[in-house]
Amino acid sequence: MSTQDKVKINKLLTGVPGLDEIVGGGLPEFSFNIIAGAPGSGKTTLAHQFVFANATREHPALYFTVLGESAIKMLRYQQQYTFFDPAKLPDSIRFINLSQVVLEKDLGAVLEEITKEVEKSNPAVVVVDSFRTMVRKPQSDMDLQSFIQRLALFLASWQATTFLIGEYAEEELRDNPIFTVADGLFWLRQTAERNSIVRKLQIIKLRGQDSVPGLHTFRITDAGVQAFSRTFGLTARKRNPPGNRRLSFGVPELDKMLDGGVREGDSVLVAGSSGTGKSVLATQFIAEGIRHGEPGIVAVFEERPEAYAERATSLGLDLETPQKDGKLTILYLRPLDLSVDETMQSILDAVEKIGAKRLVIDSLAGFEMALSPGFRADFRESLYRMIFALTGIGVTILSTVEVDESFTEFPFSTYSISFLCDDILRLRYVSIDGQLRKIMVVIKMRGGNHAKDIREYEITSKGVVILGKRLAEYQGLISGIPVYADRKDSTEEPSPRPRIKGTT
Amino acid sequence: MTTPPKTRDLAHRLLAYEAVAGKTSEPPESPTLLVYEKLRQSLSAVAGVTSFYSLACRALVLAKSEASSLGAAQIAADGSLRDFVGFEAQTDMDRDRTSEYRAGEQGVILIARLLGLLFLFLGEALTLSLLRNAWPGEAFDDRNSVHGSKA
Repeated sequence: MSTQDKVKINKLLTGVPGLDEIVGGGLPEFSFNIIAGAPGSGKTTLAHQFVFANATREHPALYFTVLGESAIKMLRYQQQYTFFDPAKLPDSIRFINLSQVVLEKDLGAVLEEITKEVEKSNPAVVVVDSFRTMVRKPQSDMDLQSFIQRLALFLASWQATTFLIGEYAEEELRDNPIFTVADGLFWLRQTAERNSIVRKLQIIKLRGQDSVPGLHTFRITDAGVQAFSRTFGLTARKRNPPGNRRLSFGVPELDKMLDGGVREGDSVLVAGSSGTGKSVLATQFIAEGIRHGEPGIVAVFEERPEAYAERATSLGLDLETPQKDGKLTILYLRPLDLSVDETMQSILDAVEKIGAKRLVIDSLAGFEMALSPGFRADFRESLYRMIFALTGIGVTILSTVEVDESFTEFPFSTYSISFLCDDILRLRYVSIDGQLRKIMVVIKMRGGNHAKDIREYEITSKGVVILGKRLAEYQGLISGIPVYADRKDSTEEPSPRPRIKGTT
Repeated sequence: MTTPPKTRDLAHRLLAYEAVAGKTSEPPESPTLLVYEKLRQSLSAVAGVTSFYSLACRALVLAKSEASSLGAAQIAADGSLRDFVGFEAQTDMDRDRTSEYRAGEQGVILIARLLGLLFLFLGEALTLSLLRNAWPGEAFDDRNSVHGSKA
């Protein structure tokens, strides 16, 4: 069958930020959906958002309430959300209470009542909240199944997109004939992770749509439900091929060590213990980008944006003006209990808003601490998704990470994430001549021929300044306790490029 | 705790509207019962009979504390008002509101109490939406109009 012969299924916007991406671009028109989950998981709010997003005077929505809770209270609470537009009532959205019918009559009467109202209003959207309340009345399974099937058929023929809302426990998912009838099954979960509540959404099925599989984090705020797709809304985006452009750090000697600078679209990790200048280097990186007309984002977790900008001023770097000019955004993402996806969404929104080319995450340790404990277990996997998504759209990421200084090993990160990074720059303290001095070395640079030198540096009023040449007269520098070895006559630069057999 | 003057003005206005409409029926119907019934139908459709019944019972208790002549009135299980004896002569909005309630005022008190609870629980926007539904010919959009002083 050719594409033009196929029936076109229109997609309706869900009205839930992030959910359209998850369901594959919108909800299929005339679909019969079930929103399931435990009490308090956000089912009613989600349905309200859909209703308010789609109901018009010409294509109204009917919202049947069959609630355990008072309908008045439901309306009282729901109108606190910003999406609740009272002007849409009653012409575009009609709330109809069926409690009495349910209490006094049977499912047949309920169906009759719904039919009557639907025929009267010709709605585009119908919600039954909660149909589970009807189910709890003693009646045979056949009655219920028959009710659901007849309702589904009736509403589909009346060209209504339908939601049934029901309280279900996880174990009820299996072998439930009601779920077979539904075109779409949305499962909302709410679990306690230590002291935090984690909300997740799963599209268990959605006929005719290519929805994003897996569990997606969501949050309920005064704007209602906001979902965060695991793919960060970037699935449809074409990945940018890695560029060859080199981005300067604003530290000339470091650029030389990096064979001209960081490759555009790379993920750079700057690792070092406290006070080694990771944030200073990150600030120089972002400021240098702005100097070259590349907007930047700094995601900070450990200090306020004002303090971050002030510290930059002390290094002679102006971060205030570019913020005012819309060339720089300093995101403060300290609030606890965030999910990686929410943090990512904030960063992505900021990246899109100013067209950022450089991103600093300062630091990964702060990032992890800002997350809900339940999300910390997924930190590595989430970082992978984040870095993949952002570098894929051409953003160059610099992350700082604090590592415990050890004199027996030389770790790059406490997160075992070095495989996620294209380039790794390691900063560390060394004890030399009765002083605690600082050295840096480029550990890794994917696709580049970086210097192998261990260089001493200082943090001055101009930021990180690399001193002299490589520290050739010491051995065991990376141990932190080097031994002086008088090799002054062998300080010639080593060959910058490793010789490969057969090449000249 | 008394009802805010603006809510009472709105009650007056609804009663005045129904007083005019009620005159055409034979025998003339009580404006209070007509207003009450429209509110009952409108809110019951949205929130259910039980919800309306609960609010109406509360409104009646509050109203009885202001107007002892409402003592016999009751709310039936379907939310309808029973045994209401109204003295409906007075719905003039220019009356002296600082005086004690007069004959006919008990209807205003009851409706104002009911509206007060609706404003409290549902908020102004949603309550006005219900009123627009019940009195399609009336303009409730203007805030001044809503609160009794028609522009």
